[in-house]
Amino acid sequence: MSLTAFYALAAFVLVFAILAVTTASMVRAALSLAITFFLIAGLYLLLGSPALAAIQFMVNASAIPIMTLFIIMMTQSRTSAGPRSWQIAAGLLAAAAALVFFKGNVGHGDGQITPVSPETLGVNLLQAALLPFEVASVLLLLAMVGAIVLARRRAG
Amino acid sequence: MVTLGHFLLLSGLLMAIGLYGVLTRRNLIAVLMSVEILLNAAALAFASVAAFRDPSLFAGQVFALFIIVVAAAELSIGFAILLNVYRTHGAVTDDAIGEMRG
Repeated sequence: MSLTAFYALAAFVLVFAILAVTTASMVRAALSLAITFFLIAGLYLLLGSPALAAIQFMVNASAIPIMTLFIIMMTQSRTSAGPRSWQIAAGLLAAAAALVFFKGNVGHGDGQITPVSPETLGVNLLQAALLPFEVASVLLLLAMVGAIVLARRRAG
Repeated sequence: MVTLGHFLLLSGLLMAIGLYGVLTRRNLIAVLMSVEILLNAAALAFASVAAFRDPSLFAGQVFALFIIVVAAAELSIGFAILLNVYRTHGAVTDDAIGEMRG
């Protein structure tokens, strides 16, 4: 049951991720990316962490695609030009290298998953990881102010 | 039975796809989207190792959470820079910023 769900999710994740990096239409690429992230939220549910799944759904599968679509329309990038031939060679080489370095052994280890409830995650976030939590909020504030300053139209 | 290896293999494949996208895309927005795939692959690896190997700790989940935060910050700044590139060069392709003139 769980294995079927994993394989179904993983297959669609890979298909839409490949679409997101290869399709020429920018809007289609952004929507494929949104579907990829939505399906990864499903994988987080399989991993027993509903909190992470909810955050993935709200941030990566909703907010970021909207921002991406806005910027695609503001810069009028309808399509992405096809890659040069040396770029394809370099991309395939890097992908192969990544697979060599990051390959996992399928079937290795037991299938014991320890679910983490949102409550546990939240309490631990505000106790053991309090300093990184606050640094993250400062980082978000800096990014917001920085984006506003950078994107502001210059006077004159 | 789903094991840690399944999730790590999927994460590795996503990493490969993202790397391919970063190297082959000509539109800079598409490059940033590929970077997003890379970051999500890393977050998935952290979360799966936490779920399978770490019965008491939560560090992997917190790492995945912070990766999402950093990705959002990186993307907003990146898009603001690309907006400026569009205003000065008229396009957000790698050709447009090929020469570093003011």
